[in-house]
Order: sequence, then C-alpha cells, then structure tokens
Amino acid sequence: MAAAPSTGGAGRSGFDKAVLGARAVALLAAAVLVLAFPQLAPDAFILSVGVVIASYAALAVSWNFVGGFTGYISLGHAAYSGMGGYGTALLILEAGWNPWLSLVGAALAVAVLAVPIGIASLRVRGASFVIVSIALVLILLLVSQSWASLTGGSNGLRVPRPFGQDVLRPEQHERFFYLHVGLVVIALAVWWAIDRSRFGTGLKAIREDEDKAQALGVPTFNYKLAVFIISAFFTALAGGMYALWFGSLDPIFQFSILVGSYMVLMSLLGGIRSLLGPVVGAVIVGYALEFFKAQYGDTQFHLVALGLLLALVVLFMPDGVLPALGSLVNRFRPQATSIREMTAGELLEHNRALENDRDGTTDPADREIEEVGR
Amino acid sequence: MSGSLLLQSIILGLLLGGLYALLAAGLTLYFGVMRVVMIAHSAFLVLAAYLAWYFQRETGLDPLLSLLVTVPLFFVVGFTMQRLLLARLRPATLTMMSVLLTFAIALTIEGLLGYFFSGTQRRIQLDYSGSSIEFFGANIAVVKMIAFALAAVALLGLWALMKLTRFGQALRATIQHPEAARLLGINTDRIAGFGFGLGLATAAIGGTALSLDSTIYPSLHWHWIGPLMAIIVIGGLGSIPGAAIAAMVLGVSQSLLQVPLGTTWAQTVFYIALFATLMVRPQGFFGGRLAQRF
Repeated sequence: MAAAPSTGGAGRSGFDKAVLGARAVALLAAAVLVLAFPQLAPDAFILSVGVVIASYAALAVSWNFVGGFTGYISLGHAAYSGMGGYGTALLILEAGWNPWLSLVGAALAVAVLAVPIGIASLRVRGASFVIVSIALVLILLLVSQSWASLTGGSNGLRVPRPFGQDVLRPEQHERFFYLHVGLVVIALAVWWAIDRSRFGTGLKAIREDEDKAQALGVPTFNYKLAVFIISAFFTALAGGMYALWFGSLDPIFQFSILVGSYMVLMSLLGGIRSLLGPVVGAVIVGYALEFFKAQYGDTQFHLVALGLLLALVVLFMPDGVLPALGSLVNRFRPQATSIREMTAGELLEHNRALENDRDGTTDPADREIEEVGR
Repeated sequence: MSGSLLLQSIILGLLLGGLYALLAAGLTLYFGVMRVVMIAHSAFLVLAAYLAWYFQRETGLDPLLSLLVTVPLFFVVGFTMQRLLLARLRPATLTMMSVLLTFAIALTIEGLLGYFFSGTQRRIQLDYSGSSIEFFGANIAVVKMIAFALAAVALLGLWALMKLTRFGQALRATIQHPEAARLLGINTDRIAGFGFGLGLATAAIGGTALSLDSTIYPSLHWHWIGPLMAIIVIGGLGSIPGAAIAAMVLGVSQSLLQVPLGTTWAQTVFYIALFATLMVRPQGFFGGRLAQRF
C-alpha cells in the first residue's frame, strides 16, 4: 500500500493501530471471500467470470513489475501473454509435453525472448517506449495470422484440456479459479520482495528520475532489463494459464492492444505504486468489462465505456484508488507528521507552490525551466 | 520482376509515401508543440474517412467536398482537445499520460463508429473509381493520384504556413524554445492549441484521401497506427523532414516488398525498420538528442 507512513521513532499511535487493524481485517475478509467464491457462485457462468477476473488480476500484477517499479508504461504486454498462450499450446500439440510442463516451458521461452526485445525497447524512454511496445503486438499479430502452418492462422489453435474429459465444466472452472488465484499470490509475493529490496529501490529511483539514478551509480539498464524479463515471464504464465482454461486461441484476441490496455487501465485505476492496486483495479475493471460485454456485446459500445473509463482515470485519478483512499485516511490522522510518498513531480509542484506563495508571483517561465530541466 | 511492374511498384510506393508523410507530419506537430504522442491520430483519420463516406452516401456529391466541413471541424476539435484535456495533465508525467489519454480517445472513437455505422466494411463508389492512367506500362489508379495530390497540396500548405506566416513563425518558435517564445510575447498555450488543431486538420485531409480508395471499418486505425508510429520514431520524434523522408523510404520499400512477399509480410518492414533503428540510433535519424527521452 502506497500511503503507509512511518510515524518516526515514537512508536505507533492509536490511530495507526486502528488503521492497521482495519486493513488486516479487510485483507482477511477479502482473502476469505476469494477462497469461498467458487462455493458462493450461483452458476457456472458467474464462476467463469470469476476465472476471467482472476486472470486479469494475474496479468495486471505481472504488468505492474515494469509499470509500477520503473514507470515505463507498456501498452504491448499482450505480446507476452499471447506468446505464453501460443507457446503452451504448441508445446502440448507439437512436442507432446505435459500441459503444466508446457506452461512453464513456454513462460521460460518468453522470458528468454524478452531479453533481445528488452535490449531494443528499453533503449528509449517514455513515448517511444510505448510506441515500440505497441509495435511488438502488431508484429506478433501479423506473424501469427500469416504463419498459418504453425499457428493455424486466423482459424487459431485448439488447446487440449489439461484435466481429463471426466472433469465437468463447473469443476474445471473451479480448479482454474484456484490456479489463477495461486498465480496472483505468487506474483504478488515476488513484487513484494522486490519492493523491499535494494533492487526495488533502484528501480523506483529510475521511475523518479532516471538520469539522477544513473548518476548515483544505479545500473539502470540492467535493472530495467531484469524487471522487464520478470514481468514478461509472469505475463506469459498468466497467458498460458488462460489458454489452458479457455481451450482455444485466436490471433485477434491473443495479440490485441486492447488486452494490453486492460492491464494498464487496471493497474493505473488501482494504483501502480501499491502492491494490491492492480488486483483491486482488475476486480473493478474486469467486472465492468464483463458487464458491458454481456449488456452491449453485439455493438462496439464496450469500447466507448472502456475509453471513457480510461480517460477519467488518467485525468482525475492518475495515482489510483488505493493511494486515493490512503490519503483520505491520512486526512483524518492526528498531527500529520508522517512522510508521505510523493513522486518527484509532486514534490516539484509542491515546492514550487510554496515558493510562489513566498514571493507572491506565479511566473510561468519557472515552470518551463523546470520542465526543460527534467 | 519485370520493368513495368518495378516502375509501378515504385510509383505506387511514392504515392503511398506521400500520404504517410502527410499523416506523420501531423503526429510530429503534436509532439513538437506539446511533447504529446497522439495515438488517436489514426482514429481521427478513420473518422474523417467515415464522414467522407457518409457525406457521399447522403448527398451523392464528391467526397472531396466533405473537406469543407471536416477540416475546420477537426481543427476546432483539436484545439478544444488540447486546451480542455491534454493541458490538464501534470507536466511531470505528461508524455506517458498523454499516450493513455489519446489512446482512450481512440477507443471511444472506434466504439462510436462501430455503434453508429456498425462493423460492416464500407467503400465509396465513384464514377472514377475504376479508371487508371497508363504510364510507361505502369497502371496507376486515378484515385491514388488524387490522394497523393491532396497530400502534396496539404503538405505544401503546411510548409507555407510554417515558413511564411507570422502564426507559423510563432508555432516554430514555440516548438524550438517555448520559454524564449513566451518572453517574446507569444501566447504559447494558445499556439500549442492551434498546432494541435492543425495536426488534426491533416488527419481530416488524410482520412478523406484514404476513403477514396480503401475499404474502411471501425478498427482500421490499428492498421495505421503501427506504420505511422514507426515512421515518426525512425525519422526522429519531432522532426518534420525526418518524418517525411522516413515515410517516403518506407512507403516505397513496402510497395516493392509487396510483390514478392504479399501484403501482410510487406507490412513488417515498418517494424523491422523500427527495431533496427532503435538498435543503431535510438533517437531516430533526424531527431535531436532529446528525442531519446520521450
């Protein structure tokens, strides 16, 4: 959670204890709810929606390794989930491997492929990086559609079910629900471990100011590449798992910029700086997406809904739901002496506001100079 | 490959490159005035194509006449979009967030097009649709030449506007050095809005040119976004001559590769060139050192 302030040496105040307790209770309740969901779900359809949302959560958490730590926004992570899906299917179909072995094998292969891709795309920052990430998905879409002898072209591939024929659909959904939740938990654990490590601190330094981080001796390129590979690996696992559950692959849906943008929207909405942000975002967005598809499935209206939602988040809640809640709690905190987590940009703006207050002028040129100085 | 086929491919490539150059010029303008990468550019392109198609279907007049409406309309939309939406984003995260915001706009446009006009593929039927002119054994469709002529006129107009008018001078100053421009009394915020409107006006012209000879459908913009983005990265973000040269070179290469490889694989030339450029010169061939940062 982003806004978890340290209260200094004086120990925890009663307010902090209350907040911590409330958070623990909320987490526990959420965990129980998630684990009991297959029993609570009234029918197989709702259960399958649960699996889809869990899959979105896995994708969003995997995306957040790059997005959250380094601030590099990739719109093209569908490239890795799609490759994970196709890789898993091809290892089962062509090489005759066991499905679970194929899943891991495909994810490892994608991680290896992510090395040259990362070396090429991480050389540029910001917008160029986003463009390259989009380009990657478009290339893979072209290849998967054209290379029909391997990928089945536009007809797609059928993935054999990993459980035998005697396992019925609802039971299948249930098992995959837990498998997806397990994947989310593992990815969250890795994210948490990185967050608290020296590696994670270096990555966050890159997010705040890459040039300064480099000047301070952070091996920025290696760090970026390492976290990029980790992210690709988990994204491929999530994509492969989804393929095993869904049972069929279609290039248009596997290598789709929309899927990549779902990951961004979910993480951004929940909060990319917080551990659970992407999961919260996945639940909100995943539910909304399934709802819009069910209601307006025949029209393109769900695209409008998605577009408007993304625009609203970008304009009004760029830090996400969880940090917004955190700062709401902080507002009620007695004597706010805590150090808030601020981005470099926010700090800049804050200091500038103070300075402007002092000399009573608002000089637009100042802003520009600082912008150039970035 | 026979001589006439080669000639035909080269001419078609140049014609296509002209259109690419026009559209990429719009993208470079946005980037120049505001450091914004406008993903929605090709969505507006498709929107303009739809408006041209709809105009022709309803009135029976030549779709080129729709430009009289779409160009000013798109200019105003661009200005409004910059002033009301993009200018609100925090400067520290402007580049990234603008990508997401314009992406959201692109999705909304695609969804609305699908909602109003359905996903059916549309095509304008004109009495000169089928005619072509023979040129040393190469057959060049008239509509492609009209599209190129439109692109050429628009690019020349853009060039003249940038070089010969006071507005163009102010716009160039804003692009080169915003704070110095402001010191000279240029209202850079308004100029940025106009620059955005100008960029979107190029999308109106490009979209109408596109509608003359291709089948249009709501998700067509994905097909264009990749090549256009590749062009501006290869040319160097923010450089109009760079974008124009990259557009021509890539248009001709695509057209030449189309004969032996087929349409789909020929498309990959943009992406291969993109990744090759990143390996050799991440900032693009004409961009300054700064381009790498964005």
